[in-house]
Amino acid sequence: MKTTDVRRSLVTAGLVAALLATWPAPAFPQGKRGGVITFALYQEPETLNPYIATQTASSEVEVFVVEGFLGRSPEGEYTPRLATEVPSRQNGGVSADGRTITYHLKPGLKWSDGQPVTCEDVRFTWQAIVHPQSGAVSTTGYREIDGVDCPSPATAVIRYKTFYAPFLSRFTAIMPKHATGDPAEMPRWAYNRKLVGTGPFTMLEWVSGDHITLIPNRYYRQAGRPRLDGVIVRITPSREVGKQLIKTGEVDVLWDLTEADVPELRTASGVVVSSEPSPYAERLVVNFADPALDGPLPDAVEKNPHPILGDPRVREAIELGINKKEIIDKLLFGLADMGTNELHIGWAKCATRPSEYDPARARQLLDQAGWKVGADGIRVAQGAKYAKDGTRLRLKLQTTTGNKLREQVEQLLIDYMKQIGLEFFIENVPSPVLFGSWASGAFRKHGHFDVVMYTTNPDVDPQSQMEGYFASWSMPSAANNGAGFNYARWASKTADDAIKLAGSSPDLTVRKKAYCTAVNEIVKDRPHIYLYSRNNIHAYRDRLVGWVGNVWDNLGWNAEDWSLR
Amino acid sequence: MGAYVLRRLLQAVPLLWLISVMVFLLLHVIPGGPMAAYENNPDMTAEDQQRLEHDLGLDVPLHVQYVRWLAALLHGDWGYSLASKRPVLVEIGDRLPNTVYLIGVATLVTLVLAVPIGIFSALRQYSTLDHVVTTVAFMGHSIPIFWFGLILIIVFHVTLRNPWTGAPLFPGGGMYTLGMPFSLLDRIYHLALPVGMLAVANAATYTRYTRASMLEVIGQDFIRTARAKGTPEPRVIWKHGLKNAASPVVTILALDLPALFAGAVFTETMFSWPGMGRLFIESAFRVDYALLMAIIMVTATLTVAFNLLADVAYAYLDPRIRYG
Repeated sequence: MKTTDVRRSLVTAGLVAALLATWPAPAFPQGKRGGVITFALYQEPETLNPYIATQTASSEVEVFVVEGFLGRSPEGEYTPRLATEVPSRQNGGVSADGRTITYHLKPGLKWSDGQPVTCEDVRFTWQAIVHPQSGAVSTTGYREIDGVDCPSPATAVIRYKTFYAPFLSRFTAIMPKHATGDPAEMPRWAYNRKLVGTGPFTMLEWVSGDHITLIPNRYYRQAGRPRLDGVIVRITPSREVGKQLIKTGEVDVLWDLTEADVPELRTASGVVVSSEPSPYAERLVVNFADPALDGPLPDAVEKNPHPILGDPRVREAIELGINKKEIIDKLLFGLADMGTNELHIGWAKCATRPSEYDPARARQLLDQAGWKVGADGIRVAQGAKYAKDGTRLRLKLQTTTGNKLREQVEQLLIDYMKQIGLEFFIENVPSPVLFGSWASGAFRKHGHFDVVMYTTNPDVDPQSQMEGYFASWSMPSAANNGAGFNYARWASKTADDAIKLAGSSPDLTVRKKAYCTAVNEIVKDRPHIYLYSRNNIHAYRDRLVGWVGNVWDNLGWNAEDWSLR
Repeated sequence: MGAYVLRRLLQAVPLLWLISVMVFLLLHVIPGGPMAAYENNPDMTAEDQQRLEHDLGLDVPLHVQYVRWLAALLHGDWGYSLASKRPVLVEIGDRLPNTVYLIGVATLVTLVLAVPIGIFSALRQYSTLDHVVTTVAFMGHSIPIFWFGLILIIVFHVTLRNPWTGAPLFPGGGMYTLGMPFSLLDRIYHLALPVGMLAVANAATYTRYTRASMLEVIGQDFIRTARAKGTPEPRVIWKHGLKNAASPVVTILALDLPALFAGAVFTETMFSWPGMGRLFIESAFRVDYALLMAIIMVTATLTVAFNLLADVAYAYLDPRIRYG
């Protein structure tokens, strides 16, 4: 070899070595099988700051580290977490007017860096959220607060300016004052990538695009917990990759599956599928207003009803014509419940019966409503309530593109409706278009649609969902910059009053009853037609012990009790 | 030569500016936009929406947004990711080494495989070896890369098992075994499939170019002269032949090298490789304007730069080429 060649090969070898050496060794020296589980997440959290994050994936990681006053039980009820008890009128935690809430912190609480948790941290959390430069996603339930008083380090008294019904659902995460920063700088806190919390685990590292390592919190309040030596959150590019990894045992927990994934995983050895009824309900949102109008308000809707859907008999016919059970059995592998109403689960549950599949009755209703069967089997208006004679019974059905399940459901819906003489035609759009903002001119916000199909769900406290979707004052319009979700543009005096009552009472029993009144109105009037209630589906390896499904919280909600067989 | 390079550099400025305007406009045509992430939150009020829009700088007209972006960039500020709120350079810095690693190794493997094979194939034109090489190269060239990657995973990760441990023969993704200290062997083990996927697809192209170009050169008079002078055959091939045949190969190499920055979207996605390609795709789904602009503009700049480098390299490889 000539010297130049030698030099070249040395340079090349050096370059290769340099490339190979640029990697820091992963900092988790313990063996994978020594009490460490791997959890596959197919989305990387953008940030872990609980008040800036928008993705579920972020909360799925936060839950191991961050805690608030209260937790949520699998039954959808509040349970004490950092607080000693759930404040109520009975235990004196809630004042008579419901505007002063007192929480007592459990004794001896410490952050994962050993500092004590005090009421100052609670006050700081509130101040950070409401700071105009904090970048917090929502200030609802915090901007109504007048002040947080700290009579003692372990007592936090929260004084509301106005009554805020879902007060128990706030402060789901307490942030450490000493380990964060200036509220004006919140989007750029180092905390957002390296949380300091009170939960059973604490963060060791976050390798961008690859994994997040969690190790036990030495200062966790419960002795002997957590049982695991660590949790590695592995970020996979897709759900499909995760499915492969759990089958080969490379990951122990797989987050967020669809019904269609289940048959394949059920037969895989060592894999357990967890499927729990959830508050998510796939529904048809029915437009009550003339779709030609742009963001009409209640008066305009009343004067210009939807020519076809404005008639309650047509809406009833649509629901009776849908074979919900068949959709579930055929397309969802039986892993869903028949759609009933918005509050089919949780503490505010209001039980109503699912609609009967009755195409004969549906046809009869359409006959009565002045829709006569035409030559091709599709009905035509002849003395209908709002439609001009000769109008064809034809409606546009829209959902998000690229969702196979929804596309299949649409095919069944077209079939069902054909049998009662109604024609559905499909015009699907990408989800950013369907769920777009008022400013971007999204048709859902502006009211230019007949029927749209998608999933939404109430939170553990249903107030914002009930008010947002069903109160007459929540119709998006130019006047309110497109705020609110009452896309059906449904207005009911009874429901409005009930929602107002539920939003102004500190008594959970009163609220529950009021919600049920509103729900019954919705079921009767059908601004939404509920198709099926989805399950939350996850999978885990059978060597993991202690898994308890909880649709009201994230899947690691009881991770302190997890252990390996 | 110096004047030529300077002129080309000056020409690049308006070109890159035009690219930045077009990319900026195209990104803002994407439906939804970064505010879509907040759309379905019933807890959000109109004021919350406006406050966040203001924070993200999205509440001013498009041309103002562009001027702000450009002004910041001229001060060396690439801005903050709209999604993670971290500086764009930090986001890129986290991913870039991984991509350089993957693409760098893959490019080396490609060249080491393709150039000798192409040369030998050309020297033994119409031999059995040449037919095999041509056929395989043609297949490699035609196979869609994502399909080939899936086949690699099915064969080497799902079907084939390590006979002693029963574990998959090769890992289906990732850069290292989680929870194990770094080892070179483990790294090579994880690189095998993604590099294999990239190298096979690229080597096919490079082999075909090398072969074609070499065939053209070795038919020329100066090669015959060199041989007639009694120059040793390896010297004829490597010095007289390859140097002249290298221009087309250098061109495609120059066009491929910006991938060292941009990454390989399919390969990284398929093999869970935390590189720039995935960062780009994820940012695209989130419509993260700041991050997307940075990735696209740096890639564009590199493409322009490497093209210039290729042109300069021609002059070195072929003394007949003169730039004035």
